Amino acid sequence: MLKAMKRREFIRAIAHGLLLAAGLAPRRAGASHPREKDHLTPFVFAQVKYRGGDWNPHPLAVTPLMEELMQRTSVEAAASRHEVALTDRELFSFPFLYISGKYDFDPLTQEEIEILRRFLSYGGFLLADDALGQPGYGFDRSLRREMKRVFPEKEFGRLPSGHAALRSYYLLRKIGGMRMVHPYIEGINVGAATPVIYCHNDLGGAWERDQLGNWLNPCTPGGEEQRRDAFHLGINLILYAMTENYKEDLIHVPFIRRRLSR
Amino acid sequence: MNELFFAGGLPWWAILLIALGTLSLLVHQFLGLKRRLSPKKSGLLISLRALVYALLIFFLLSPGLIEKRVTKLRRPLTVILDTSQSMGFPAAPGQSRDGKQGKSRIDLMKEKLLEGKEPWIERLARDYDLRLYQFSTRLEPITAASLPQLTAQGKGTRLLEVLREASRDAGSQSGIILFSDGIANGENSSLDESVSLPVPIFTVGVGETRGFTDLRIAELSAPEFAFRGRELKIDLTIQAYGLAGKTVPLYFNRGRNLVSSRNISIDRDPFEQRLTLSYTPKEAGPHSFSLSIPPQEGEWITQNNQREFKVEVQRDKIRVLTLSGSPSWNYRFLRMALKQDPSIDLVSFVFLRTPTDSVDVPDSQLSLIPFPIDEIFLEELKNFDVLFFDDFSHRAYFNAVYLEKVRDFVREGSGLAMLGGIRSFDSGGYAGSPLREVLPVELDGKGNFQTGSALRSVLTASGKTHPITRLLPDPRANEEVWKKMPLLTSLNRVLRAKGEALLLAAPDGASGGSPLLTVGKYGKGRTLALMSDDFWRWNFAAVGANESPQNHLRLIRQAVRWLAQEPSFEQVQIRSVSGSKAPGEKVDFKIRVLKDDFTPAANSALRLRIIGPEGEQIPIEAAPETEEGEYSAEFTPTKEGAYRLEAEAQLADKLLGRDRRNFVVAFPFGEMEDGRPRPDLLKRIADASHGEFIPITEWSEKGLERMSAKLESLAPSQVVERRQIPLWSTLWTFALILLLLASEWWMRRKWGLV
Repeated sequence: MLKAMKRREFIRAIAHGLLLAAGLAPRRAGASHPREKDHLTPFVFAQVKYRGGDWNPHPLAVTPLMEELMQRTSVEAAASRHEVALTDRELFSFPFLYISGKYDFDPLTQEEIEILRRFLSYGGFLLADDALGQPGYGFDRSLRREMKRVFPEKEFGRLPSGHAALRSYYLLRKIGGMRMVHPYIEGINVGAATPVIYCHNDLGGAWERDQLGNWLNPCTPGGEEQRRDAFHLGINLILYAMTENYKEDLIHVPFIRRRLSR
Repeated sequence: MNELFFAGGLPWWAILLIALGTLSLLVHQFLGLKRRLSPKKSGLLISLRALVYALLIFFLLSPGLIEKRVTKLRRPLTVILDTSQSMGFPAAPGQSRDGKQGKSRIDLMKEKLLEGKEPWIERLARDYDLRLYQFSTRLEPITAASLPQLTAQGKGTRLLEVLREASRDAGSQSGIILFSDGIANGENSSLDESVSLPVPIFTVGVGETRGFTDLRIAELSAPEFAFRGRELKIDLTIQAYGLAGKTVPLYFNRGRNLVSSRNISIDRDPFEQRLTLSYTPKEAGPHSFSLSIPPQEGEWITQNNQREFKVEVQRDKIRVLTLSGSPSWNYRFLRMALKQDPSIDLVSFVFLRTPTDSVDVPDSQLSLIPFPIDEIFLEELKNFDVLFFDDFSHRAYFNAVYLEKVRDFVREGSGLAMLGGIRSFDSGGYAGSPLREVLPVELDGKGNFQTGSALRSVLTASGKTHPITRLLPDPRANEEVWKKMPLLTSLNRVLRAKGEALLLAAPDGASGGSPLLTVGKYGKGRTLALMSDDFWRWNFAAVGANESPQNHLRLIRQAVRWLAQEPSFEQVQIRSVSGSKAPGEKVDFKIRVLKDDFTPAANSALRLRIIGPEGEQIPIEAAPETEEGEYSAEFTPTKEGAYRLEAEAQLADKLLGRDRRNFVVAFPFGEMEDGRPRPDLLKRIADASHGEFIPITEWSEKGLERMSAKLESLAPSQVVERRQIPLWSTLWTFALILLLLASEWWMRRKWGLV
């Protein structure tokens, strides 16, 4: 795989040439071109820090995902993640939260539970990622315990294949990750939205890459295709958080149905 | 003749005992006298005494005389003549339409009353205490001399109401003669228990049903308001008389354009068919419709072959189109605000991918749909009320020519909001686009998009009163809310707000005078510029600070309503149209005018005009009320039809706004709609009041005699006066007794008994 920025510039040059031929080339905006990240209000991938267990099983996972996000979509993103505790005053500046881990973690305080409930009830989004891959143990057990405290009346449920999160950009038929624990993802619905989505397949492990561009973890059993699915899922979930059920709007439905039928 | 009677006083057995006792006394006295006088003299004296006793016993019976005196009254009679417009219709078939030629019903009625050597009206005046009235919507006394001048001009026929009033005033001895065609269109149009008819009513039916030929659109029911895009239904009834076997077309027009037509087969007589027509308005605003059937040969009335009505078409929802340059939190929370509002219909396009983004899968594995540029800008844009450019630049996707369509869209009355971001305002290349003149901020191509610094939003004086930024009704509470709004971290810097625009909020000192929230007008439309892509923080960051997200949601929704020119967000508001709305009656209007910052506009130039039923324009004067910004006006329509009031206000030669309101002027009666005589109703009135129905063609001497006999049987016109005269208490009876006793005494003295 080419390094993201190099490939990006290359593709931009090609695309610009093709669009010129078609008469649809975007004009240069001088000093204010959209891609000049210094002037943007980017998407920030915020990762939750918690006590106990291991909140940071894949420290290098986010940057590759952000590069992929910027290369594939119109979203401008901060290249690195932002680490945030649930009690940080700036928490509500980051409507997208990522929580991951391998092991049991300490119960959240009541204040943290209430903050998280408020966060998720008013438009925030939480992506939970089980880096251990052992349902009923470690991170999985702790996460379910805490989410039960956040939403006592609600349960995790399997997301149907037509869920907007699986169609927000890619038409996903498979769930990727470093390992294949479940071929599905789960979520908690609040009203018409699903502000909590939980993947058991260790997405972070699949995304993680070192500074030299080498993948740190092999994806089993599906290999690179499974990794690609993990990136696709990550992008889809970010776009879902930012557009909610946009892809359920009537104008999209016939197009998506037609493509899925092929 | 006088009659003797006995009032009594003593029981008969007591009188019998007294009579027997008196007889015994007389026998005893006779026997005593017979010893002293001759039988002849004794008999004479006893006879005199017997007469006295008989008189006294007679008086014990309290005799008296009844004296009778018979008086014949002059009976009152009320004659009521129908002079409503329907009496101008022909009285009988074979005459021309509308009663304009030939004998009308009212002419026939007058002829009957006035013809001959001794006209009926004079005979009635001679024989009765005649009270003569004409009526249409009310009872009006007239003289017999004015009868020839009567015309059929009444705008309605309050038949049963008038009869009730006349019956109440007539008195028990009287009767009523009613001359009418029987058409009743008052509040009571059928005879029911609520109509009390205590005196006999002789109804004279004027006009014949036989041969009546008419085709009419009756019972039209159309909504006053309808919603754009939703089917509206019009219910109507077609009635036909004397036209069996014909097939007639019914045309349904909007303005001069035919909407639909259908053939009506008249298969019986009388004929009645209910129909439902439908129409789906595609645009908001006043819609004029008409239904018509061509006049048929022989029809008596043709003006009831067509009906006109107006429907004010409103949008049921405000249709909002958003174009977002990329997924963003601004879009996320903007969508939340719009989607949760049931009165907003949102269509949004988010550009998930730019032309320079590459994907690693075939398009078939992407959910992306092509942006339908032509469909949106050339076809569908007119169907939206508000367009949002949310951090969206046309440059990557289409030629600026399409923005001319957006400019026209606003000029024609729609709303445009541009939200900040790297793709907006100067940064989005709009300085060189057709939207430069539309937007409420000045663009010079040198403005930029800055992030990083924390900006507080400060309301301007206009912002404190404007309906977009008025998040709470209380001014102080509203200012507090704005002070607590989370800080923004991005700003599109531009030169300034345009001179004619209204700056509602500005960033605090560090911004160098660049506006934050500006609103303006362009053509008939409205514009808004919010110079940040970070105002989603007013929602979510507020939640994090334990504040309400409602302020952000309310701001968005109020902005949409203001842009869409919802009536409650109009600066010129026709607040009421009151009055009876009948021709000749005054209609009152109340209008409110507000300045751009929604404070009352006291010295505005308010122009009002009425658009009449035939499109005629009638200017009317507006007068300021004591309360600032409030105006009143009045108008007296002269004819029936659908009217519209249009109001337009200016302040210092600048248009503040417009408003319009439809109203219908109509008599509360349908006098000219159905001219068919109703003898059945007249018969029922006669039966219910113990009178008699007489068709005018049978009105004759015999009819009058029958009426007199019936009135006599119900209430005789002779009055017998009786007087009792007691006999025993008169001077003459006392003198008679005294004379008898004195005669007896004198004889006794002469014959030596005393």
